[in-house]
Amino acid sequence: MDNEVPLPPPPRIRHRSPNKTPAASGSSLRKTYQLSRFDDQPSSDPALFSSDDVPASGLENYHAPVSSVSRKRRYRGTWWGETVKDSKRKRADFKEKRHADSGVWMGSDELGAESLLPSEDAPSWGEDILKDTSNSTVTGRTVDAVMRDSDQWEMQGPAWMQWSGLKKVEEPTEHQAARNIVHECLETGQESVDLSNCNLRHVPSGLLLPLQHLTKLPAIIEPPITEETYSSLQPFLRLFLTGNSLQTVPGELFDLGSIKVLSLRYNKITEMPPAIRKLTLLQEVNLAVNRLHYLPWELLWLIKKGDLKHMKVRPNPLMEIQEAEIAQWHSPEGTEIESSSGVLKLCDYKGPAPEEAWAPLHVATGPVRRFNMEGMPVDVQTSGAYANQPIEESRVPSLREVSLLACTRSFFFDQVSDEEMVEYPGLIIRLLRKAKEVRSGGGRSCSVCHRGFVIARTEWIEWWDCSTYESGLKGPRSPGEKLRPLPFRRLGCSWACVPDAGTGQRNQEARGL
Amino acid sequence: MASEFVTLVSGDGFEFIIPRSTACVSGTIRRMLDSSSKFSEAVSGRCELENISGIVLEKVCEYFCYNEKNKDQTNVPDMDIPPELCLELLMAADYLDT
Repeated sequence: MDNEVPLPPPPRIRHRSPNKTPAASGSSLRKTYQLSRFDDQPSSDPALFSSDDVPASGLENYHAPVSSVSRKRRYRGTWWGETVKDSKRKRADFKEKRHADSGVWMGSDELGAESLLPSEDAPSWGEDILKDTSNSTVTGRTVDAVMRDSDQWEMQGPAWMQWSGLKKVEEPTEHQAARNIVHECLETGQESVDLSNCNLRHVPSGLLLPLQHLTKLPAIIEPPITEETYSSLQPFLRLFLTGNSLQTVPGELFDLGSIKVLSLRYNKITEMPPAIRKLTLLQEVNLAVNRLHYLPWELLWLIKKGDLKHMKVRPNPLMEIQEAEIAQWHSPEGTEIESSSGVLKLCDYKGPAPEEAWAPLHVATGPVRRFNMEGMPVDVQTSGAYANQPIEESRVPSLREVSLLACTRSFFFDQVSDEEMVEYPGLIIRLLRKAKEVRSGGGRSCSVCHRGFVIARTEWIEWWDCSTYESGLKGPRSPGEKLRPLPFRRLGCSWACVPDAGTGQRNQEARGL
Repeated sequence: MASEFVTLVSGDGFEFIIPRSTACVSGTIRRMLDSSSKFSEAVSGRCELENISGIVLEKVCEYFCYNEKNKDQTNVPDMDIPPELCLELLMAADYLDT
């Protein structure tokens, strides 16, 4: 109560308390009438109904003359008695002000009403979105980049056309067909986007991004409606790019965070970008029949931290552990080495399957390859053995790395064409090309410290057995089953990002010595 | 005995005085200042970097300090690079071998 704002002193107190009002209603009507003659403000409280205080309305003085003075009391001002000085002028002031824009948009304004009307039909509206998104994500990677509707493109982005020096190119029919399929799926709310056997050599830019906006259509169900008929409208997005001739995976694929099933089977992919980690909802992935020599470590991360349950990766020309160089063998709990062949196998167990019969098992780690700031491999022998190699153990990125990263993050990087790059000094062309490649692959982040980077400074292979996940978690490993580890490639952003660097123990030991 | 600070001079005449250890983040400057060499830079502690402009050299010096500061950290913060400078910085980085 104390901190209430004090009210301003009333300039003129009106008597409102009942003990000071001499006039009640009925019997003293005449009195109030006289009072109101010389004082515009009657002392009595206002009547409950509007007709009550009109003297002529009463039966007893039905014929009483109606004076113009006696009218319903009008009172303007605050409740504590301040009255408005000149109430009639207020209205005029307000009218003068009407021309100023209040900034509040009313739906009934004529201008606004026009834009509210659905001027176009739905399909063309969808196309607008499609164009918008494709316009904003042009990678400029390919000179024969395709345009859907060249006239529209010229209208929308003449600056962009000049930049990359593109001529009007008719889009190949397979790309048009693919766009039609995507469009159809968007229209009908179809969750399975089937782009298999479309003869795609590469995924044209802007093809997949509209799928971000895919929404399921609610099913119309005849009553009776039970609880089971309610279902989520969140799409269970499935993308099939099976049976094309893709050599690289487009970076924009990894912007579709809602993909749950992804099939890239039967393509010509040589490397799976680490950006797959961005697909955190992925449940099933099929990479069979490609040209992969190793898998990105991020797939393993998706198994462990994400939702990935089914990972089909064979057949592929994957590296074999028997032929690979191994720096360190791990003997995970619950495994033993078979004496005769030297192959790691699972221990015999009885009864219910232990946890290690399900989980991915870390079998071995390959040697760490290091790269200098240019991204060129460094010979470990000449720069000292890696166990006691204290030079440049810091995690600070090089200035090259810092500026390359800034390049890839800036918007103009996409607009620099390959022809233009030739004019740059030879020293940096190679780095810029690398940066473009990384960007079109969806970016990279360090598998140890999660920092984004362009040039990998360390690289090593980890061998993990994921046989339960390869079969889609149908059952645990059987007792005594041989392990068939898969190669997963890990990349580090600095020389301090090496195996077991997460604990930081070795670092501290090195400094203590 | 060489001074603890060195002076970096940009092509357009700006001078930046920074600690010697910080400047030695760059391989090129480290070799310039190597006392066993008889380069004039090693004697005077003054490096004239003709082909780097003042604006870029300022950012380079900022990077040197950023590198020095975060050398032993496990969680290195990002450094902000204005996009219009990144190509020139890349050239400078190549020249300075850092």
